[in-house]
Amino acid sequence: MPSGSRLVAIAGNTFQESARQRFLLLLALMAAMLGLAAWWFRNCSLVATQAKFLLDTGFGALTFFGAVLAIVATAESLSGEIERRTVLAVLAKPVWRGEFVLGKLAGILALLLAFCAVGTGLLVLLLWTASPQSVDSQAQEFAGGRCASLFAVIACGFVQWLRCGILAALTLLVSTYVRSSLLAVTTGFAALAICSLRALVWDAFRAAGPGWVGGAAGVIGLVVPDFELYDIADRVAAGGVLSASYLVGITLYSAVYVGLFVALAVYCFRHREL
Amino acid sequence: MTAVELAGVTKVFSSALLGSPFCALRDINLSIAEGEIVGLLGPNGSGKTTLLKIIMGLVAPTAGTCRVFGRPGHYAETRSSVGYLSESPEFYPFLTGIELVRFFAGLAGLAGRVREARIKEAIALVGMETASARRVGTYSRGMKQRIGLAQALVTSPRLVILDEPTANLDPEGAADIGEIIRGIRTRGGTVLLSSHQLDQMENLCTRVVFLNRGSVVVSGTVDELVRSRCENTLVVEGLREADESELRGWLADRGARLLADPLARRERLEQVYLATAHRCRSEQREFP
Repeated sequence: MPSGSRLVAIAGNTFQESARQRFLLLLALMAAMLGLAAWWFRNCSLVATQAKFLLDTGFGALTFFGAVLAIVATAESLSGEIERRTVLAVLAKPVWRGEFVLGKLAGILALLLAFCAVGTGLLVLLLWTASPQSVDSQAQEFAGGRCASLFAVIACGFVQWLRCGILAALTLLVSTYVRSSLLAVTTGFAALAICSLRALVWDAFRAAGPGWVGGAAGVIGLVVPDFELYDIADRVAAGGVLSASYLVGITLYSAVYVGLFVALAVYCFRHREL
Repeated sequence: MTAVELAGVTKVFSSALLGSPFCALRDINLSIAEGEIVGLLGPNGSGKTTLLKIIMGLVAPTAGTCRVFGRPGHYAETRSSVGYLSESPEFYPFLTGIELVRFFAGLAGLAGRVREARIKEAIALVGMETASARRVGTYSRGMKQRIGLAQALVTSPRLVILDEPTANLDPEGAADIGEIIRGIRTRGGTVLLSSHQLDQMENLCTRVVFLNRGSVVVSGTVDELVRSRCENTLVVEGLREADESELRGWLADRGARLLADPLARRERLEQVYLATAHRCRSEQREFP
Protein backbone atom coordinates (compact mmCIF):
# COMPACT_ATOMS: atom_id res chain seq x y z
CA MET A 1 0.00 0.00 0.00
CA PRO A 2 1.22 3.53 -0.70
CA SER A 3 2.94 5.23 2.21
CA GLY A 4 2.10 8.88 2.86
CA SER A 5 5.62 9.85 3.81
CA ARG A 6 7.14 8.30 0.69
CA LEU A 7 4.51 9.96 -1.53
CA VAL A 8 5.23 13.31 0.07
CA ALA A 9 8.99 12.79 -0.30
CA ILE A 10 8.71 11.90 -4.00
CA ALA A 11 6.19 14.68 -4.68
CA GLY A 12 8.35 17.24 -2.87
CA ASN A 13 11.42 16.15 -4.77
CA THR A 14 9.53 16.29 -8.09
CA PHE A 15 8.23 19.78 -7.31
CA GLN A 16 11.69 20.97 -6.36
CA GLU A 17 13.28 19.42 -9.44
CA SER A 18 10.66 20.83 -11.84
CA ALA A 19 10.58 24.27 -10.23
CA ARG A 20 14.35 24.57 -10.66
CA GLN A 21 14.26 24.05 -14.40
CA ARG A 22 15.23 27.07 -16.46
CA PHE A 23 12.44 26.16 -18.83
CA LEU A 24 9.85 26.93 -16.15
CA LEU A 25 11.46 30.29 -15.49
CA LEU A 26 11.33 31.03 -19.21
CA LEU A 27 7.65 30.07 -19.41
CA ALA A 28 6.78 32.15 -16.36
CA LEU A 29 8.67 35.13 -17.79
CA MET A 30 6.93 34.83 -21.15
CA ALA A 31 3.51 34.53 -19.48
CA ALA A 32 4.25 37.55 -17.29
CA MET A 33 5.51 39.57 -20.28
CA LEU A 34 2.37 38.70 -22.22
CA GLY A 35 0.24 39.83 -19.29
CA LEU A 36 2.17 43.08 -18.97
CA ALA A 37 1.94 43.66 -22.74
CA ALA A 38 -1.83 43.15 -22.54
CA TRP A 39 -1.96 45.66 -19.66
CA TRP A 40 0.13 48.14 -21.68
CA PHE A 41 -2.02 47.81 -24.81
CA ARG A 42 -5.34 47.51 -22.98
CA ASN A 43 -6.67 50.69 -24.53
CA CYS A 44 -5.76 49.68 -28.07
CA SER A 45 -8.52 47.10 -28.43
CA LEU A 46 -11.31 48.38 -30.61
CA VAL A 47 -13.83 45.67 -29.92
CA ALA A 48 -13.36 44.73 -26.29
CA THR A 49 -13.40 46.52 -23.00
CA GLN A 50 -10.23 46.75 -20.92
CA ALA A 51 -11.38 43.92 -18.63
CA LYS A 52 -12.32 41.61 -21.47
CA PHE A 53 -9.07 42.33 -23.31
CA LEU A 54 -6.98 41.61 -20.21
CA LEU A 55 -8.98 38.49 -19.30
CA ASP A 56 -8.83 37.07 -22.84
CA THR A 57 -5.09 37.59 -23.05
CA GLY A 58 -4.42 36.52 -19.46
CA PHE A 59 -6.38 33.29 -19.63
CA GLY A 60 -5.03 32.60 -23.12
CA ALA A 61 -1.51 32.83 -21.73
CA LEU A 62 -2.42 30.75 -18.68
CA THR A 63 -3.99 28.03 -20.83
CA PHE A 64 -1.20 27.91 -23.39
CA PHE A 65 1.78 28.13 -21.05
CA GLY A 66 0.06 25.90 -18.49
CA ALA A 67 -0.39 23.20 -21.15
CA VAL A 68 3.24 23.50 -22.27
CA LEU A 69 4.39 23.31 -18.65
CA ALA A 70 2.17 20.30 -17.90
CA ILE A 71 3.51 18.36 -20.88
CA VAL A 72 7.18 19.29 -20.66
CA ALA A 73 7.53 19.13 -16.87
CA THR A 74 5.77 15.75 -16.67
CA ALA A 75 7.73 14.22 -19.53
CA GLU A 76 10.98 15.53 -18.13
CA SER A 77 10.07 14.35 -14.67
CA LEU A 78 9.36 10.69 -15.49
CA SER A 79 10.95 9.93 -18.88
CA GLY A 80 13.89 12.19 -18.04
CA GLU A 81 14.42 10.40 -14.76
CA ILE A 82 14.41 7.05 -16.54
CA GLU A 83 16.82 8.37 -19.18
CA ARG A 84 19.19 9.77 -16.56
CA ARG A 85 18.84 6.54 -14.53
CA THR A 86 18.18 8.42 -11.29
CA VAL A 87 15.06 6.26 -11.04
CA LEU A 88 17.20 3.19 -10.28
CA ALA A 89 18.29 4.46 -6.88
CA VAL A 90 14.71 5.45 -5.96
CA LEU A 91 13.16 2.13 -6.94
CA ALA A 92 15.98 0.25 -5.20
CA LYS A 93 14.43 1.49 -1.95
CA PRO A 94 11.22 -0.09 -0.65
CA VAL A 95 9.15 2.10 -2.96
CA TRP A 96 6.13 0.61 -4.73
CA ARG A 97 6.13 1.62 -8.38
CA GLY A 98 2.63 3.01 -8.02
CA GLU A 99 3.89 5.28 -5.23
CA PHE A 100 6.53 6.60 -7.55
CA VAL A 101 4.00 7.42 -10.30
CA LEU A 102 1.53 8.96 -7.83
CA GLY A 103 4.29 10.96 -6.18
CA LYS A 104 5.44 12.27 -9.54
CA LEU A 105 1.89 13.32 -10.46
CA ALA A 106 1.35 14.97 -7.07
CA GLY A 107 4.56 16.99 -7.49
CA ILE A 108 3.60 18.11 -10.99
CA LEU A 109 0.04 18.99 -9.88
CA ALA A 110 1.48 21.10 -7.07
CA LEU A 111 3.74 22.87 -9.56
CA LEU A 112 0.82 23.51 -11.92
CA LEU A 113 -1.29 24.75 -9.03
CA ALA A 114 1.44 27.22 -8.10
CA PHE A 115 1.72 28.31 -11.75
CA CYS A 116 -2.05 28.78 -12.16
CA ALA A 117 -2.38 30.50 -8.77
CA VAL A 118 0.42 32.95 -9.51
CA GLY A 119 -0.93 33.52 -13.05
CA THR A 120 -4.47 34.14 -11.81
CA GLY A 121 -3.20 36.37 -9.01
CA LEU A 122 -1.17 38.38 -11.50
CA LEU A 123 -4.22 38.68 -13.74
CA VAL A 124 -6.38 39.95 -10.88
CA LEU A 125 -3.65 42.43 -10.02
CA LEU A 126 -3.46 43.64 -13.63
CA LEU A 127 -7.24 44.01 -13.81
CA TRP A 128 -7.28 45.93 -10.57
CA THR A 129 -4.35 48.12 -11.63
CA ALA A 130 -5.98 48.87 -14.99
CA SER A 131 -9.19 49.86 -13.32
CA PRO A 132 -10.24 48.92 -9.78
CA GLN A 133 -13.83 48.74 -11.00
CA SER A 134 -13.06 45.97 -13.49
CA VAL A 135 -12.95 43.34 -10.79
CA ASP A 136 -15.91 43.09 -8.50
CA SER A 137 -15.79 41.08 -5.36
CA GLN A 138 -19.54 40.53 -5.61
CA ALA A 139 -20.67 37.70 -7.83
CA GLN A 140 -22.98 39.59 -10.10
CA GLU A 141 -23.47 39.71 -13.80
CA PHE A 142 -22.50 42.73 -15.79
CA ALA A 143 -23.72 43.37 -19.28
CA GLY A 144 -21.21 44.25 -21.97
CA GLY A 145 -18.20 42.86 -20.10
CA ARG A 146 -17.41 46.03 -18.21
CA CYS A 147 -16.15 44.04 -15.26
CA ALA A 148 -15.68 40.48 -14.12
CA SER A 149 -16.57 38.72 -10.93
CA LEU A 150 -13.49 38.08 -8.76
CA PHE A 151 -14.89 34.66 -7.89
CA ALA A 152 -15.33 33.80 -11.59
CA VAL A 153 -11.75 34.84 -12.38
CA ILE A 154 -10.39 32.65 -9.59
CA ALA A 155 -12.70 29.79 -10.57
CA CYS A 156 -11.52 30.10 -14.15
CA GLY A 157 -7.92 29.83 -12.94
CA PHE A 158 -8.92 26.69 -11.02
CA VAL A 159 -10.58 25.19 -14.14
CA GLN A 160 -7.40 25.83 -16.15
CA TRP A 161 -5.49 23.97 -13.43
CA LEU A 162 -7.90 21.03 -13.83
CA ARG A 163 -7.24 20.98 -17.58
CA CYS A 164 -3.48 21.08 -17.00
CA GLY A 165 -3.89 18.25 -14.47
CA ILE A 166 -5.57 16.01 -17.06
CA LEU A 167 -2.84 16.83 -19.54
CA ALA A 168 -0.16 16.02 -16.95
CA ALA A 169 -1.82 12.66 -16.16
CA LEU A 170 -2.04 11.87 -19.87
CA THR A 171 1.62 12.75 -20.44
CA LEU A 172 2.53 10.69 -17.38
CA LEU A 173 0.78 7.71 -18.96
CA VAL A 174 2.69 8.23 -22.20
CA SER A 175 5.98 8.62 -20.29
CA THR A 176 5.58 5.23 -18.63
CA TYR A 177 6.11 3.37 -21.88
CA VAL A 178 7.99 5.62 -24.34
CA ARG A 179 11.77 5.45 -24.41
CA SER A 180 12.64 9.15 -24.53
CA SER A 181 11.38 12.38 -23.00
CA LEU A 182 11.30 14.00 -26.45
CA LEU A 183 8.85 11.36 -27.67
CA ALA A 184 6.77 11.87 -24.51
CA VAL A 185 6.65 15.63 -25.16
CA THR A 186 5.68 15.13 -28.82
CA THR A 187 2.97 12.62 -27.91
CA GLY A 188 1.76 14.96 -25.15
CA PHE A 189 1.26 17.79 -27.63
CA ALA A 190 -0.52 15.40 -30.03
CA ALA A 191 -2.81 14.41 -27.13
CA LEU A 192 -3.44 18.10 -26.40
CA ALA A 193 -4.49 18.62 -30.02
CA ILE A 194 -6.78 15.57 -29.96
CA CYS A 195 -8.38 16.62 -26.65
CA SER A 196 -8.93 20.14 -27.97
CA LEU A 197 -10.57 18.78 -31.13
CA ARG A 198 -12.54 16.09 -29.33
CA ALA A 199 -15.87 17.77 -30.08
CA LEU A 200 -15.14 17.46 -33.81
CA VAL A 201 -14.42 13.74 -33.38
CA TRP A 202 -17.67 13.31 -31.49
CA ASP A 203 -19.55 15.12 -34.25
CA ALA A 204 -17.89 12.81 -36.79
CA PHE A 205 -19.08 9.83 -34.76
CA ARG A 206 -22.63 11.14 -34.86
CA ALA A 207 -22.45 11.91 -38.55
CA ALA A 208 -20.81 8.63 -39.57
CA GLY A 209 -23.35 6.43 -37.90
CA PRO A 210 -22.69 2.68 -37.60
CA GLY A 211 -19.50 1.32 -39.15
CA TRP A 212 -15.84 1.19 -38.28
CA VAL A 213 -15.23 4.92 -38.86
CA GLY A 214 -18.10 5.83 -36.59
CA GLY A 215 -17.03 3.17 -34.09
CA ALA A 216 -13.45 4.45 -33.97
CA ALA A 217 -14.67 8.03 -33.60
CA GLY A 218 -17.02 6.91 -30.83
CA VAL A 219 -14.23 5.15 -28.92
CA ILE A 220 -11.95 8.20 -29.23
CA GLY A 221 -14.83 10.43 -28.19
CA LEU A 222 -15.37 8.37 -25.05
CA VAL A 223 -11.73 7.88 -24.06
CA VAL A 224 -10.48 11.38 -24.81
CA PRO A 225 -11.51 14.22 -22.49
CA ASP A 226 -13.22 17.18 -24.09
CA PHE A 227 -11.10 20.28 -23.49
CA GLU A 228 -13.79 22.55 -24.92
CA LEU A 229 -15.61 22.13 -21.61
CA TYR A 230 -12.76 24.06 -19.99
CA ASP A 231 -12.96 27.03 -22.38
CA ILE A 232 -14.82 29.37 -20.05
CA ALA A 233 -12.56 32.40 -20.28
CA ASP A 234 -14.90 34.05 -22.81
CA ARG A 235 -17.84 33.63 -20.47
CA VAL A 236 -15.88 35.07 -17.53
CA ALA A 237 -14.55 37.92 -19.67
CA ALA A 238 -18.12 38.72 -20.69
CA GLY A 239 -18.97 39.10 -17.03
CA GLY A 240 -20.67 35.72 -16.78
CA VAL A 241 -21.03 33.85 -13.53
CA LEU A 242 -19.87 30.27 -13.15
CA SER A 243 -22.44 28.08 -11.50
CA ALA A 244 -21.56 25.80 -8.61
CA SER A 245 -22.98 22.83 -10.52
CA TYR A 246 -20.58 23.54 -13.41
CA LEU A 247 -17.62 23.71 -11.05
CA VAL A 248 -18.57 20.50 -9.23
CA GLY A 249 -19.25 18.75 -12.54
CA ILE A 250 -16.01 19.79 -14.20
CA THR A 251 -14.04 18.83 -11.07
CA LEU A 252 -15.58 15.34 -11.05
CA TYR A 253 -15.13 15.02 -14.82
CA SER A 254 -11.43 15.91 -14.43
CA ALA A 255 -10.99 13.59 -11.44
CA VAL A 256 -12.40 10.66 -13.42
CA TYR A 257 -10.00 11.22 -16.32
CA VAL A 258 -7.00 11.85 -14.06
CA GLY A 259 -7.86 8.69 -12.11
CA LEU A 260 -8.22 6.65 -15.31
CA PHE A 261 -4.93 7.88 -16.81
CA VAL A 262 -3.03 7.43 -13.55
CA ALA A 263 -4.37 3.89 -13.07
CA LEU A 264 -3.20 3.03 -16.59
CA ALA A 265 0.14 4.75 -15.93
CA VAL A 266 0.68 2.70 -12.75
CA TYR A 267 -0.17 -0.49 -14.65
CA CYS A 268 2.26 0.35 -17.48
CA PHE A 269 5.04 1.42 -15.12
CA ARG A 270 4.74 -1.77 -13.07
CA HIS A 271 5.72 -3.70 -16.19
CA ARG A 272 8.38 -1.27 -17.34
CA GLU A 273 11.94 -2.60 -17.41
CA LEU A 274 14.51 -0.13 -16.16
CA MET B 1 19.94 -18.28 5.89
CA THR B 2 20.07 -17.84 2.14
CA ALA B 3 20.34 -14.21 1.15
CA VAL B 4 19.76 -14.66 -2.57
CA GLU B 5 18.30 -17.66 -4.37
CA LEU B 6 18.09 -17.68 -8.16
CA ALA B 7 16.50 -20.70 -9.81
CA GLY B 8 16.47 -21.11 -13.58
CA VAL B 9 16.58 -17.38 -14.21
CA THR B 10 16.44 -16.56 -17.89
CA LYS B 11 16.07 -13.13 -19.40
CA VAL B 12 15.26 -12.52 -23.01
CA PHE B 13 14.96 -8.92 -24.16
CA SER B 14 12.49 -8.69 -26.96
CA SER B 15 13.68 -5.98 -29.29
CA ALA B 16 11.41 -3.49 -30.94
CA LEU B 17 9.81 -4.17 -34.32
CA LEU B 18 11.95 -6.36 -36.56
CA GLY B 19 14.99 -6.99 -34.35
CA SER B 20 15.61 -10.48 -33.05
CA PRO B 21 15.24 -11.18 -29.32
CA PHE B 22 18.39 -11.08 -27.24
CA CYS B 23 19.06 -13.65 -24.53
CA ALA B 24 20.85 -11.74 -21.74
CA LEU B 25 20.72 -14.52 -19.13
CA ARG B 26 20.21 -18.21 -19.56
CA ASP B 27 19.14 -20.60 -16.83
CA ILE B 28 21.06 -19.02 -13.95
CA ASN B 29 21.04 -20.99 -10.71
CA LEU B 30 22.80 -19.25 -7.88
CA SER B 31 22.54 -19.35 -4.13
CA ILE B 32 24.26 -16.82 -1.89
CA ALA B 33 24.41 -17.49 1.84
CA GLU B 34 24.25 -14.70 4.40
CA GLY B 35 27.68 -13.34 5.25
CA GLU B 36 29.24 -14.11 1.87
CA ILE B 37 30.98 -11.63 -0.42
CA VAL B 38 30.28 -12.85 -3.92
CA GLY B 39 31.89 -11.29 -6.95
CA LEU B 40 30.41 -11.39 -10.42
CA LEU B 41 33.03 -11.50 -13.14
CA GLY B 42 32.69 -11.48 -16.87
CA PRO B 43 33.34 -9.44 -19.97
CA ASN B 44 31.16 -6.50 -20.93
CA GLY B 45 27.73 -7.65 -22.03
CA SER B 46 27.94 -10.94 -20.15
CA GLY B 47 24.76 -10.21 -18.17
CA LYS B 48 26.16 -9.06 -14.80
CA THR B 49 24.13 -5.85 -14.58
CA THR B 50 20.95 -7.59 -15.80
CA LEU B 51 21.39 -10.24 -13.12
CA LEU B 52 21.81 -7.58 -10.41
CA LYS B 53 18.75 -5.70 -11.70
CA ILE B 54 16.68 -8.88 -11.59
CA ILE B 55 17.67 -9.40 -7.96
CA MET B 56 16.66 -5.78 -7.26
CA GLY B 57 13.31 -6.26 -9.02
CA LEU B 58 14.15 -3.57 -11.59
CA VAL B 59 13.95 -6.08 -14.42
CA ALA B 60 11.56 -9.04 -14.52
CA PRO B 61 13.00 -12.43 -15.49
CA THR B 62 11.48 -14.11 -18.53
CA ALA B 63 11.63 -17.45 -16.72
CA GLY B 64 12.74 -18.67 -13.32
CA THR B 65 12.44 -17.27 -9.83
CA CYS B 66 14.44 -14.86 -7.72
CA ARG B 67 14.09 -14.74 -3.95
CA VAL B 68 15.85 -12.41 -1.55
CA PHE B 69 15.78 -13.50 2.10
CA GLY B 70 13.01 -15.92 1.11
CA ARG B 71 10.77 -13.28 -0.47
CA PRO B 72 10.27 -12.50 -4.16
CA GLY B 73 12.83 -9.96 -5.31
CA HIS B 74 10.30 -7.68 -6.99
CA TYR B 75 8.33 -7.01 -3.77
CA ALA B 76 8.91 -3.49 -2.49
CA GLU B 77 9.17 -4.76 1.13
CA THR B 78 12.02 -7.07 0.12
CA ARG B 79 14.13 -4.05 -0.73
CA SER B 80 13.95 -2.68 2.81
CA SER B 81 16.82 -5.03 3.68
CA VAL B 82 18.82 -4.38 0.51
CA GLY B 83 21.15 -1.54 -0.44
CA TYR B 84 21.95 -0.98 -4.12
CA LEU B 85 24.48 1.07 -6.02
CA SER B 86 24.07 1.04 -9.78
CA GLU B 87 26.84 1.29 -12.34
CA SER B 88 27.95 4.93 -12.86
CA PRO B 89 25.17 6.22 -10.62
CA GLU B 90 23.37 9.49 -11.32
CA PHE B 91 21.50 11.50 -8.70
CA TYR B 92 19.45 14.68 -8.44
CA PRO B 93 21.99 17.45 -9.13
CA PHE B 94 20.07 20.14 -7.24
CA LEU B 95 20.30 18.35 -3.88
CA THR B 96 23.32 18.57 -1.62
CA GLY B 97 25.01 15.34 -0.62
CA ILE B 98 23.37 15.30 2.81
CA GLU B 99 19.94 16.16 1.36
CA LEU B 100 20.32 13.32 -1.11
CA VAL B 101 21.13 10.75 1.57
CA ARG B 102 18.27 12.15 3.69
CA PHE B 103 15.85 11.76 0.77
CA PHE B 104 16.79 8.12 0.26
CA ALA B 105 16.76 7.43 4.00
CA GLY B 106 13.22 8.83 4.09
CA LEU B 107 12.16 6.57 1.23
CA ALA B 108 13.54 3.62 3.17
CA GLY B 109 11.31 4.55 6.10
CA LEU B 110 13.88 6.10 8.44
CA ALA B 111 12.73 9.12 10.39
CA GLY B 112 13.67 11.43 13.23
CA ARG B 113 16.91 11.19 15.19
CA VAL B 114 17.66 7.66 14.02
CA ARG B 115 17.63 8.90 10.43
CA GLU B 116 19.91 11.85 11.16
CA ALA B 117 22.35 9.64 13.08
CA ARG B 118 22.45 7.07 10.27
CA ILE B 119 22.96 9.80 7.65
CA LYS B 120 25.97 11.17 9.52
CA GLU B 121 27.35 7.69 9.98
CA ALA B 122 26.94 6.76 6.30
CA ILE B 123 28.48 10.00 5.06
CA ALA B 124 31.42 9.60 7.42
CA LEU B 125 31.86 5.99 6.33
CA VAL B 126 32.38 7.00 2.69
CA GLY B 127 34.55 10.00 3.61
CA MET B 128 32.21 12.69 2.29
CA GLU B 129 31.83 14.86 5.41
CA THR B 130 33.42 17.95 3.92
CA ALA B 131 31.66 17.70 0.56
CA SER B 132 28.22 16.75 1.87
CA ALA B 133 27.06 20.39 1.95
CA ARG B 134 27.84 20.83 -1.75
CA ARG B 135 25.33 20.15 -4.50
CA VAL B 136 25.59 16.75 -6.16
CA GLY B 137 25.74 18.50 -9.55
CA THR B 138 29.22 19.75 -8.65
CA TYR B 139 30.54 16.30 -7.70
CA SER B 140 33.11 14.34 -9.69
CA ARG B 141 32.20 10.82 -10.78
CA GLY B 142 34.16 9.34 -7.92
CA MET B 143 32.31 11.54 -5.42
CA LYS B 144 28.97 10.48 -6.91
CA GLN B 145 30.09 6.90 -6.43
CA ARG B 146 30.85 7.59 -2.77
CA ILE B 147 27.61 9.41 -2.05
CA GLY B 148 25.80 6.63 -3.89
CA LEU B 149 27.41 4.16 -1.56
CA ALA B 150 26.31 6.29 1.41
CA GLN B 151 22.66 6.19 0.28
CA ALA B 152 22.94 2.43 -0.24
CA LEU B 153 24.34 1.88 3.26
CA VAL B 154 22.25 4.42 5.18
CA THR B 155 19.69 1.80 6.21
CA SER B 156 22.37 -0.70 7.36
CA PRO B 157 21.04 -3.28 4.88
CA ARG B 158 21.57 -7.02 5.31
CA LEU B 159 22.40 -7.38 1.61
CA VAL B 160 24.40 -4.86 -0.39
CA ILE B 161 24.46 -5.07 -4.17
CA LEU B 162 27.16 -3.05 -5.88
CA ASP B 163 27.50 -2.76 -9.63
CA GLU B 164 31.10 -1.81 -10.37
CA PRO B 165 31.53 0.21 -7.17
CA THR B 166 35.13 1.18 -7.85
CA ALA B 167 34.75 2.00 -11.54
CA ASN B 168 35.32 5.74 -11.16
CA LEU B 169 37.55 5.79 -8.13
CA ASP B 170 41.26 6.42 -7.73
CA PRO B 171 43.32 3.60 -6.11
CA GLU B 172 42.94 5.15 -2.66
CA GLY B 173 39.18 5.43 -3.11
CA ALA B 174 39.00 1.84 -4.36
CA ALA B 175 40.91 0.68 -1.28
CA ASP B 176 38.46 2.59 0.95
CA ILE B 177 35.53 0.87 -0.75
CA GLY B 178 37.25 -2.44 -0.16
CA GLU B 179 37.48 -1.66 3.55
CA ILE B 180 33.80 -0.69 3.65
CA ILE B 181 32.85 -3.98 1.99
CA ARG B 182 34.92 -5.92 4.52
CA GLY B 183 33.18 -3.95 7.27
CA ILE B 184 29.77 -4.97 5.93
CA ARG B 185 30.81 -8.60 6.15
CA THR B 186 32.24 -8.16 9.64
CA ARG B 187 28.84 -7.09 10.93
CA GLY B 188 27.19 -10.10 9.25
CA GLY B 189 26.06 -8.48 6.03
CA THR B 190 26.15 -10.02 2.57
CA VAL B 191 27.69 -8.36 -0.46
CA LEU B 192 27.16 -9.12 -4.12
CA LEU B 193 29.31 -7.04 -6.40
CA SER B 194 30.39 -6.93 -9.98
CA SER B 195 33.71 -5.45 -10.92
CA HIS B 196 36.54 -5.56 -13.39
CA GLN B 197 39.08 -4.81 -10.62
CA LEU B 198 40.34 -8.37 -10.36
CA ASP B 199 42.95 -7.71 -7.68
CA GLN B 200 40.28 -6.28 -5.44
CA MET B 201 37.84 -9.10 -6.19
CA GLU B 202 40.54 -11.61 -5.33
CA ASN B 203 41.23 -9.97 -2.01
CA LEU B 204 37.62 -9.32 -1.06
CA CYS B 205 35.41 -12.10 -2.35
CA THR B 206 34.71 -15.34 -0.60
CA ARG B 207 33.35 -16.64 -3.90
CA VAL B 208 33.39 -15.55 -7.51
CA VAL B 209 30.97 -16.36 -10.31
CA PHE B 210 32.13 -16.00 -13.89
CA LEU B 211 29.44 -15.10 -16.38
CA ASN B 212 29.84 -15.27 -20.11
CA ARG B 213 27.10 -14.53 -22.63
CA GLY B 214 24.45 -14.93 -19.97
CA SER B 215 25.57 -18.24 -18.47
CA VAL B 216 27.60 -19.17 -15.42
CA VAL B 217 30.76 -20.76 -16.78
CA VAL B 218 32.85 -20.97 -13.61
CA SER B 219 31.94 -20.59 -9.96
CA GLY B 220 33.80 -21.20 -6.74
CA THR B 221 36.06 -19.68 -4.14
CA VAL B 222 39.13 -17.85 -5.37
CA ASP B 223 41.34 -20.58 -3.90
CA GLU B 224 39.40 -23.31 -5.67
CA LEU B 225 39.66 -21.57 -9.01
CA VAL B 226 43.34 -20.82 -8.59
CA ARG B 227 44.11 -24.36 -7.43
CA SER B 228 42.28 -25.91 -10.34
CA ARG B 229 44.43 -23.92 -12.70
CA CYS B 230 47.66 -24.83 -10.87
CA GLU B 231 47.00 -28.55 -11.35
CA ASN B 232 48.12 -28.20 -14.93
CA THR B 233 51.46 -26.72 -14.00
CA LEU B 234 54.56 -28.79 -14.76
CA VAL B 235 57.93 -28.24 -13.19
CA VAL B 236 60.58 -29.57 -15.57
CA GLU B 237 63.91 -30.84 -14.32
CA GLY B 238 67.03 -31.78 -16.21
CA LEU B 239 66.15 -30.01 -19.41
CA ARG B 240 69.10 -29.54 -21.72
CA GLU B 241 69.84 -25.96 -22.62
CA ALA B 242 69.78 -26.86 -26.32
CA ASP B 243 66.22 -28.16 -26.05
CA GLU B 244 64.89 -25.32 -23.93
CA SER B 245 64.16 -22.88 -26.76
CA GLU B 246 62.46 -25.61 -28.77
CA LEU B 247 60.31 -26.55 -25.78
CA ARG B 248 59.45 -22.92 -25.10
CA GLY B 249 58.32 -22.52 -28.71
CA TRP B 250 56.25 -25.73 -28.54
CA LEU B 251 54.56 -24.60 -25.31
CA ALA B 252 53.91 -21.10 -26.57
CA ASP B 253 52.24 -22.52 -29.69
CA ARG B 254 49.77 -24.30 -27.39
CA GLY B 255 48.96 -21.24 -25.33
CA ALA B 256 50.89 -22.26 -22.24
CA ARG B 257 52.39 -19.48 -20.16
CA LEU B 258 55.99 -19.71 -19.09
CA LEU B 259 56.75 -18.54 -15.60
CA ALA B 260 59.88 -16.48 -15.09
CA ASP B 261 60.11 -17.57 -11.50
CA PRO B 262 59.17 -21.20 -10.87
CA LEU B 263 58.49 -20.41 -7.24
CA ALA B 264 55.87 -17.81 -8.11
CA ARG B 265 53.57 -20.45 -9.51
CA ARG B 266 50.47 -19.45 -7.64
CA GLU B 267 47.99 -18.16 -10.19
CA ARG B 268 46.25 -14.87 -9.71
CA LEU B 269 42.55 -14.41 -10.28
CA GLU B 270 43.46 -12.24 -13.25
CA GLN B 271 45.03 -15.22 -14.99
CA VAL B 272 41.98 -17.35 -14.21
CA TYR B 273 39.77 -14.63 -15.64
CA LEU B 274 41.79 -14.23 -18.81
CA ALA B 275 42.06 -17.97 -19.36
CA THR B 276 38.33 -18.48 -18.85
CA ALA B 277 37.48 -15.60 -21.15
CA HIS B 278 39.89 -16.97 -23.76
CA ARG B 279 38.40 -20.46 -23.46
CA CYS B 280 34.87 -19.07 -23.84
CA ARG B 281 35.89 -17.10 -26.89
CA SER B 282 37.56 -20.09 -28.52
CA GLU B 283 34.52 -22.26 -27.81
CA GLN B 284 32.36 -19.51 -29.35
CA ARG B 285 29.52 -20.06 -26.92
CA GLU B 286 26.40 -19.03 -28.72
CA PHE B 287 22.93 -19.23 -27.31
CA PRO B 288 19.65 -19.32 -29.18
